Amino acid sequence: MSEEQQSPPEFWLKFFLWFCRRDCVEDIEGDLIERYELRRVKVGHKIAAQLFRNDVLKLFRPSMIKNFEGNQKLNQYGMLKHNLLVSFRSFLRYKTAFLINLIGLSTGLACALFIYLWVQDEYAVDKFHVLDEQLYQVMLHHEESGALNTGTDTPGLLAEALEEEIPEITSAVQSTPSFWFGKMPLTLENKTIKADGQFVGAKYFELFSFPLIHGNAGEVLKDKKSIAISESLAKSLFDSPEAAMGQTLNWSLFEFNEVFQVSGVFADLPPHSTENFDFLLSFDVFEDMVGGGIQWGNYNAHTFITAADGTDLDLLNEKLAGFIKGKRESSNVIVFARKYSDGYLNSAYENGHQSGGRIEYVQLFTAISIFILLIACINFMNLSTAKASRKTKEVGVKKAIGASRSALIIQFMSESFIMTLISIVVALGLVLLLLPQFNLLTGKAIQLFLDGQLLLNLAIILLFTGFVAGSYPALYLSKFRPAEVLKGQLRSSVGEFWVRKGLVVFQFTLSVVLIVAVMVVHQQIQFVQNKNLGYQKENVILFPNEGKIAEKQDDFIARLKNTPGVINVSGTSHTIVNGGSYTTGVSWEGQNPDVQTRFGNMSVHYDFLETLGMELIEGRAFSKDLNSEHEKLIFNETAIRLMGITDPIGKKVNLWGDDREIIGVAKDFHFESLHEPITPLFFKLLSGPAQTIVARIAPQNQFETFERIESVFQEYNPSFNFNFQFLDAEYEKQYAAENVVAVLSRYFAGITILISCLGLFGLASFTAERRFKEIGIRKALGATSFSIVKLLSADFNKMIAIAVFIALPLSYYLVNLWLEGFAYTINLAWYYFIAAGLSSLFIAWLTVALQTMKAAKLNPVQSLRSE
Amino acid sequence: MGKTYIGEFEEIVMLTVAILSGEAYGVAIIEEMEARLNRAVSIGSLQTVLRRLEEKGYLSSEFGAATKMRGGKRKRFYQVTPIGKKVLDETKEQRMGLWNAIPSQSTGNSI
Repeated sequence: MSEEQQSPPEFWLKFFLWFCRRDCVEDIEGDLIERYELRRVKVGHKIAAQLFRNDVLKLFRPSMIKNFEGNQKLNQYGMLKHNLLVSFRSFLRYKTAFLINLIGLSTGLACALFIYLWVQDEYAVDKFHVLDEQLYQVMLHHEESGALNTGTDTPGLLAEALEEEIPEITSAVQSTPSFWFGKMPLTLENKTIKADGQFVGAKYFELFSFPLIHGNAGEVLKDKKSIAISESLAKSLFDSPEAAMGQTLNWSLFEFNEVFQVSGVFADLPPHSTENFDFLLSFDVFEDMVGGGIQWGNYNAHTFITAADGTDLDLLNEKLAGFIKGKRESSNVIVFARKYSDGYLNSAYENGHQSGGRIEYVQLFTAISIFILLIACINFMNLSTAKASRKTKEVGVKKAIGASRSALIIQFMSESFIMTLISIVVALGLVLLLLPQFNLLTGKAIQLFLDGQLLLNLAIILLFTGFVAGSYPALYLSKFRPAEVLKGQLRSSVGEFWVRKGLVVFQFTLSVVLIVAVMVVHQQIQFVQNKNLGYQKENVILFPNEGKIAEKQDDFIARLKNTPGVINVSGTSHTIVNGGSYTTGVSWEGQNPDVQTRFGNMSVHYDFLETLGMELIEGRAFSKDLNSEHEKLIFNETAIRLMGITDPIGKKVNLWGDDREIIGVAKDFHFESLHEPITPLFFKLLSGPAQTIVARIAPQNQFETFERIESVFQEYNPSFNFNFQFLDAEYEKQYAAENVVAVLSRYFAGITILISCLGLFGLASFTAERRFKEIGIRKALGATSFSIVKLLSADFNKMIAIAVFIALPLSYYLVNLWLEGFAYTINLAWYYFIAAGLSSLFIAWLTVALQTMKAAKLNPVQSLRSE
Repeated sequence: MGKTYIGEFEEIVMLTVAILSGEAYGVAIIEEMEARLNRAVSIGSLQTVLRRLEEKGYLSSEFGAATKMRGGKRKRFYQVTPIGKKVLDETKEQRMGLWNAIPSQSTGNSI
């Protein structure tokens, strides 16, 4: 200890030695030490040390700091510069390899970036609400036929009761999702605009953060006569949000017609909102509309709550579970709350348990992007290790003059990092260029902002890619023994051989899996769109039954039927593809009283089955010529099977307490997407006006037919726009997610194959180059071009064959997993797999052959003349 | 070579090096200056000036033998070069010329 106190402070001395110019360091160090010694004798170690530190600090000036340039550069700096130089030289020297790496890595990175942006966007949905952490949606599990069906529809009474009776729930609001009613007409004088609307509880704006431009969040919808409209609606109706306030608007839906006063204008909903509406009305209006329909047994609202900070969801759900059963004894529902913002990605439930949803696609694409990046990295690894023989001399010389292994690892790593960096720049350019296209495809409005988050993620991607791509070559190349390589005794170890082959096999396995996936997804979507649904969905148009038409429905339908080009017309209260109402109120002889069965309730007008072209297996459809048709029912096959009724025609079942006669059995048909199995369902005759008019038109001259229908429509509703939809288009909308997946997976598969082939191309050209002399000698001895191509591609063919062999069972397993999500699927035929295998073999062989052909065609004189 | 200007501190350092004649190295110069002029000098400022003067060619230096006292580090001994000497002379003459130009009555005892 005492000895240490005799010497100048080590840290400051080291610091001095580090920064001081080399040509001054010795004498000044001596001076420093001498001065310290003199002072130590005079004033002791402590003060001397302090003065020593001051001296060192005062020496830290520009004229004394060493030059980091020229001969005196720091070692790391010099190495870095050297590595950069060597990297760029090697890029210039081996342009093909560089281009292959650049194309591969940058497309791979661009894919990864796109997927990253998409995933980021998916996760952002519904997260913008200020109360996001506390905002829950209340949902119900229905106990039906021994299983749990989960849904978002809740009794309209639930919100208020929850807020009153459960202390943890700070606030609750009910609403009706806008898709229940479609677009509703709003009329101002002679101007009618159709817009999406919701009926919501008064506290809606307190729970959801949709900023109000005018109006007070707590008061906007307190009055039953008020309406809140969006900024753009205000602009198109009243020119400006300011002018809109206090104005009156006429609203109509079905036979309802009322005047509301604008009490608030809210900013247009952000794109990340799943709530989707242009105007809001008070829930009281809805209550009046449904009359006595707001009951514990009717599920006609969505319910949202905020829970107090720190509420445990599991405990809350325990409390909630029996809430409705406590209100209505015969209830079969279990109440639970789910975080509102989780609903978008995790919407699927299976027998009461969360079972995925959109999140599966998010995960799928994340996995694909990682795989694509991996494949691009593998190209880099393969080409670098294959190039090893060219680099052996360099490594040997460097090692011989004293380069350490770590210095070489750093050199090869920096090469891969520089490569990745260049690729990221190219990839960013690609993303910027293709982003509009991508948005079109995915239906998003993603923008590329170089914000901190993105830069951080880019840095992570850079590190990951650079490291993965560079690790194997760096470790492998730096291992060479200088004596051996300089003597030219490099032998490829068995391990290296396997690693390179393994990587190619891995690449092609992934490619084949993706090819199979693309084919199966495509086939399944074709199947879904072309499956016989039990009715003819083509040439059927739907439009809302609104305004005066609703009042004079029979008259209108009769007029329309006589219009040329229109084959048949009917109406229904069902949305057809978006689902309709359900009831458990059917009972029949021999029913098991413990099991509740949910029946679809299709209230239809006359001629509905005929209009849609549905088949009756037995019995007849509703007929205008007979009386008391309102007491009759038609079931679908599934319902009859489920009820176990044989010979059903003329038998009676009980619906909501009344006996009804079965007059017909309809062949099963699919209204809902093929993800769902067919559910039991009955048709009954509509007593009031329909929600939707359904018309079948002739396939010829449809344009004229539309004009004729429109003119009839306008006779009744002069101020309304005639908007109609095609049933088949509506049906296909259910597969929007699958369609995006199909298109994206096609692109991704293409890119994967491209990148894999690039790698193969590089390897093949390299092999051909290495066996340049061998080919020359073989040709000189009389080998044909064909035999040389065969020789060179034999290895690759084997690798691809192995890849196909591994990929087939793997892809079979994976696509089966995906198909499980559909209730009706294609059969996985063997030829999908064979086709995928053969096509990838063919593509690979073509790639290799192109390259080897070039080598085989060479005149042996060229390869043998030197030496 | 035209006019040569050297700063005050540079002049003092050169003069001290001249005084120490052959024994002028870092610490010795500092000690000498501190003793004669009663002014604190840091190694940093001294060394900077020494290098600068050497670059200008007014001083030359060479390494001496290693001593135990300095942790085995050699001393760098400075000497005034002939040009340096000339610059010192010129500076002195300029000063003297200025002094001589002062009218005698006003010099008095003021300095």
